[in-house]
Amino acid sequence: MYFDYQNTGVGVPDRFADAHQRAWTRLASPGMWWTSAEKIDIAAETRNAENVRDEYRNSLSPSMADPPQKVSLTLDESIVEAIYRITTDPARLSRDWFNTLIERGVKDTHYVELVSVVTTVLSIDDFHRGIGIELEDLPTPIKGDPLRRRPTGARDEGSWVNTVPPAQLDPVDDDIYGGRDSAPNVIRALSLVPPEVRALEDMHEAQYLTYAEMGEFVNLDRSLSRAQIEFVAAKVSVANECFY
Amino acid sequence: MLRASSKLNKSGIDIKAVVDGNVDSMIPAGPSLASFAEALVSRNSNLERLRSNLVDEVGEQGMIEAAGTAANFQRMVRIADAIGIPLDDRSLSAADALIEELDIKTFHSASNTYRFD
Repeated sequence: MYFDYQNTGVGVPDRFADAHQRAWTRLASPGMWWTSAEKIDIAAETRNAENVRDEYRNSLSPSMADPPQKVSLTLDESIVEAIYRITTDPARLSRDWFNTLIERGVKDTHYVELVSVVTTVLSIDDFHRGIGIELEDLPTPIKGDPLRRRPTGARDEGSWVNTVPPAQLDPVDDDIYGGRDSAPNVIRALSLVPPEVRALEDMHEAQYLTYAEMGEFVNLDRSLSRAQIEFVAAKVSVANECFY
Repeated sequence: MLRASSKLNKSGIDIKAVVDGNVDSMIPAGPSLASFAEALVSRNSNLERLRSNLVDEVGEQGMIEAAGTAANFQRMVRIADAIGIPLDDRSLSAADALIEELDIKTFHSASNTYRFD
């Protein structure tokens, strides 16, 4: 059983275990564009990136950093480099870098799903680092083929990849913004691969706040006040030099 | 969100504490929360001690809440920066003053997110 927090000696609320187990099930399953084995390899490389974290962050230019010995046999160099850059030094990602990645043959759809896998694994791993417990073993891949469905309403909304406005969602995806007629860009960011928006919101609600709680600034029923929670969020954003 | 929380709680939070560790945020346990979050992001070897300090101040459940929030935003910042999303239209009107107040135009990712004229 993955994420058996009851045996860690830390009183982790069930909502974390439930969300992390669902994330691991998604990670083990075929994606929209990547096979499950490739997704597990992406997860393994995300962890491997920790070995060069300081070298990447401290290099004068991120392209000058020596990549670590990759652990994946299936992912090509461009993909692995993207994983290391996103994991270790996100603030210095640029549109030029992204365009080069696309010119080297990486598909925008694959890139979006990769971003989701990398950030899911990093986030769950960092929760473990935060509370001081061992990282979870990566799951065993489940056989199957990627679905390979690109949303028909995807368009240029100013991000590096196309995103889907709420009014342009395909019927099969019409729940991904919770039925709302607007969605902030950070939620739309992964909408080129709609299931990843659901995955984002699932983790977001467990680790941070539900949509209902996000509108509650005074009487939040949590162990920290809303101001304390937002202060942590802001500190993490600043430590990563994230302007958004 | 931090500013909104401060206004609605009439708590007088100093938002500059987000970027300047010498400024008192006026948030209860603010220094311990900040040190814990920064140590997690930077893989600081003092994380264990800082976690213990945080538990002393906000309890184990508060520490878990802080770890969950930090972990979540480790994800959100990477999604924002890896997808190159622009600021939301509804944030633009409030952005200029906040950018000025926090002096964050120098962040590498600013040129992706906030398309300066």
